[in-house]
Formats: sequence, structure tokens, C-alpha cells
Amino acid sequence: MTATTRPPLRRRSPFMRKAFPYLMVAPTCIYLLGITLWPGIFALYRSLYTGKFDWHQSKNFVGFENYSILFGDQHFWIAIWNTLLLGSITLAIEFAIALFLAALVYRSPWVKGWRILFMLPMLFMPSAVGYLWKLIFNDGRVMADLMNRVGLVDGGVDWMAHTFNARFVLVLTDVWQWTPFLFIILVAGLQGQDKEIEEAARLDGASFGKMFWNISFPLLRPVIAIALVLRGIDLLNNMSAVNIITQGSPAGRTETLSFFIYRTAFRSFDQGYASAASVLLLVVTIILAQVLVRKFFRSGTET
Amino acid sequence: MSKRREGPRWGWMVLTIWGAFAFLPILYFASIALRPRNEIIAPQPIYFPTLTIETWAKIWNEWPIGLYFYNSIVAITGSVFICLILGVPCAYALARYKFKGNADIGNYILSTKMMAPAAVVVPMFFLFGKLGLIDSVWALMLVYAAMNLSIVVWIVRSYMIDIHPEIEDAARTDGAGDLRILWEIIIPMCLPGIITAGVIAAIFAMNEYLFTLIIASKNAYPLSVALANFSGGSDGIIYNAIALVGFLAFFPALLLVISIQNHLSRGLTMGAVKG
Repeated sequence: MTATTRPPLRRRSPFMRKAFPYLMVAPTCIYLLGITLWPGIFALYRSLYTGKFDWHQSKNFVGFENYSILFGDQHFWIAIWNTLLLGSITLAIEFAIALFLAALVYRSPWVKGWRILFMLPMLFMPSAVGYLWKLIFNDGRVMADLMNRVGLVDGGVDWMAHTFNARFVLVLTDVWQWTPFLFIILVAGLQGQDKEIEEAARLDGASFGKMFWNISFPLLRPVIAIALVLRGIDLLNNMSAVNIITQGSPAGRTETLSFFIYRTAFRSFDQGYASAASVLLLVVTIILAQVLVRKFFRSGTET
Repeated sequence: MSKRREGPRWGWMVLTIWGAFAFLPILYFASIALRPRNEIIAPQPIYFPTLTIETWAKIWNEWPIGLYFYNSIVAITGSVFICLILGVPCAYALARYKFKGNADIGNYILSTKMMAPAAVVVPMFFLFGKLGLIDSVWALMLVYAAMNLSIVVWIVRSYMIDIHPEIEDAARTDGAGDLRILWEIIIPMCLPGIITAGVIAAIFAMNEYLFTLIIASKNAYPLSVALANFSGGSDGIIYNAIALVGFLAFFPALLLVISIQNHLSRGLTMGAVKG
């Protein structure tokens, strides 16, 4: 043993050095497996049985019957169609508005003020927002009254009885609350761009619109992709507004897949059937997530 | 010379219109919270009601709003703590260590964020039933933490990547251990990121609806689902109580978000969009 001039570096055994990062990530991974892997397996198992909460006492194994019924269930397919239709329409509207507003505001000296003003709807709980718009459209008759005053319609409007109207209410509710989500991200993306390119384009005499469309917008694409992915996923899971405002009416035409599973499991208490739908949804989201994560969130993975 | 315009001249008009669309419903909602019950649902909507806070006393007496608020606070702060305690070391390992599976583990953690809550809601109900945690604040805490863990890890990780590795190398040559470096250098340096992650997690937890709906049934109601409670009976849906509770959650959220407003987009995109 020779005395070192420097204090010895604290080095663990080779094994500990190898294991250390794994020990750091292990708790998170175990916790997350508990809400992904375990529920997946349980849902698969549960979907092979019928019965309600007491299914343990009266085990009724039916194999894949729940699945075959599900594939023939038009409510299931309508729910999928509604989820995709409402989701894509809402996303398109929100994106168009958010991009337009972001383009107008991102070099303005008042951008922080606008951002806080636009952000306010996002800060309410979605359940409260659901009731707010339920009140404005349905119970409080505010919207019909306003439309009467400007002469758009005459008399009352039944917002829940017609497919188009009910869907319109859901879309508007979501647009009101979540357009700022996209707006905030797009503004940040635009602000991060090089000012000098814009300046050069301006000196060349390009109009603001041309400059934005030909220079800023193409550069913004990666940011747009991330924003749309995140908002799109939330839209696919939309259920609070459906549950509060329409309950799927009229005739299931506003029922989303999330609401379908909730209704089947906790209103009709058909949990085997709901589990079958859950398993299918889980498989789809796992595949989707793998693609999206690898494609859009790679930045900074290679440190 | 070029005109130094920041955009088209009519821009402010568009912004004002959208601002009005965003703000007027909130103003209406506030007036709902402040008006007597018989002026909420009338044959003709009342735009200028008599403002009173008298109904608040009634609402306060009829429903345990204090309990709902308390439940929200406990479940949310508890979940944020769980997220940070588990997530920060995890983020550090993902940001700094080269080990087999680093990218895959990171991707797996992020992919849980993309999972549909509805796909696991039935199993979760049975799980909490088995644990005897139905209608318990603890169950809400665990669910919120699970839901937000991926977000917290990715936000914090993105801030840690930005810290220059040389600072750690210097500390390491001075003999500091890995955990000490994390605690004494990394965490203080990425504190804005950690706070951002905590605020975003808290707001998402406050907004959570589906799991809360199936877990909480009476004693554990937090604000987000307690709203649905204000209905039934001869009164129908009691909108001024709903509006009151809505604002009770809104103001803390507003304060939190203003405190991190420059980190907001980074938080919302889990570190992917800086600024």
C-alpha cells in the first residue's frame, strides 16, 4: 500500500458500477409496469370470463366469446368511428386556429400577455369546462338565445337530439379549452427560430404571410408533429366531456371508445365485455406508442 | 427601407376576437358562481344577474367542499412527491449513464404516457378493490403518480441533458460520489426543470377524470369529480356550486402556471420543445 498524493476516487466494485444506473431506473420501471403490464394481463384474463363484480365466485369461462360479440357489436364500431371522426375534426380545427394565432403573436412584444389570456380556459378542470358548456348550450339556453338575437335561428335549438348538434357541442368545448395547448407549443417553437432569416426575407421584400408560409412554417414541422401527437392522444382518450355533456346521445352518436368502455364496465357492469374492448385498445395503443415515440421524441436520446 | 412590422395590421383584431371567445365564457362562469340559484336557469338567460355571495354559505353548508379541497391537495401533492422521488434519479440515470437498454427504457417510460387510460381502467378498479383502496385518497395518489411519472422523468431528463458534463467530472475528480453529485450539483442546477415537472404533474393530476370517477365514490372525492355530485334532487344540476368549485381549482392552477410560464411549452411537450 502506497500513499496516494490525491484522495482516492470513490469507486464502487465493477458490479456496482454496472448495476448503479439500473438501480436508479428500476423503481420507476417497476411502478410503470404495474400500471401497464399487469393491467394488460389482467384485462386479457378477465376478458375470457363473463359476470360482474362477483365473477370470482361464479367463474364463467367463455373463451373468446366476448371478442366475437364485440366484433359484431355496432355500438363498438360506432364508438371507434366517433372517436376518430371527432378527434380528427377537433384536432384540425384546433391546429388551424392555434397556428394562425401563433403566427400573429410570436414576434409581438405583448406575447406573454396574449399567452396568459389565451391559456385561461386550459386551467379549468375538464369536468368544470364540461358543465360550463353544458350550461351555455343546453341548460342555460345561452347559445340559442344569442343565435336568436343575431337572427341565426328562430326559437329554441335542441342541441342534444341531433347528431350534428351534439357533436358540434363536443368539438367546440374541446376547441375552447385545448387550442391554447397547441398555441403555447407552436409559439415556443416559432420563437426558437432564428430571427435573422426572417429579417433577411423581410429585407428582400417578402410579405409577412409569404415569409411565414415559406420559411417559418417548414422549419416548424418537427414541433408541429410533437404538438399534434400529444394533443391527438388526449383527444383519442376524450371522455369527460362526453360523460358530462352528451352521455353519448343521440343514440350513441357521440360515444367515444373511452366512454364505451366506461359505460360497459361501470354502468352495465359487463366487465368481461369491457375488458375485451380494453385489450383491443391496449394493443392498438402499444403499437401506436412504439411508432410515435421512436419517430417524434428522439431528440437528445443520444447524449 | 423595409417596414418593421411584426405581422399584418389586422392581427390584433383576430387576437382580440379569440381573446374574447376565451374570456367571455369564463366571465359568464364567474357570474354563475356569484348569482342566486333561481337566476341560473331561467326561460331567458340572464346576462346581468344580481351578484351575491350569499349562496356560498349555503353551498358550503350543504356540501363538504373543504373535504373535497383537502382530498385534492393530499392526492395531488402526494402524487407529485412520488413522481419526483422515483422520477428524478431515473431521469439522471437516463440522461447521464451509458448502459445497455438506456434508449429502450426511456422509450418505454414515454410510451406509457401514450397509453389510453380507458384500456386499464377495469383492471385498476379490480386492483384497488383487492387492496381495499376504493374510495380512498391513497388510491388517487397512486394513480396520479403513475399517470405523471413518465412526464416527470422526461421533463427532468431534458433539463439534465442540458447541464454541462464537465461540471460533474470536476466534482468526480474531487471525490464526490454519484449520489452526492446528483443531490448537490445536478438537482440544484436543474431546479427549474424539476419545478416545471412538478407543476405540470400537479395540473394533470387535478384534471384527471376517468380514474377518479371509478375510484372515488364519497369520502375521497377530489374537486374534479366532486362537481358531478352537485346534481340530483329537485334542484337539478347546481351550477353555482360547480362554478365555485371550478374556480377553487382554477386560481391555484393559474398561480402555478404563471410561476413557470417561461418553461411551459417545454413542460407540456415533455422536454421536446424548448422555450
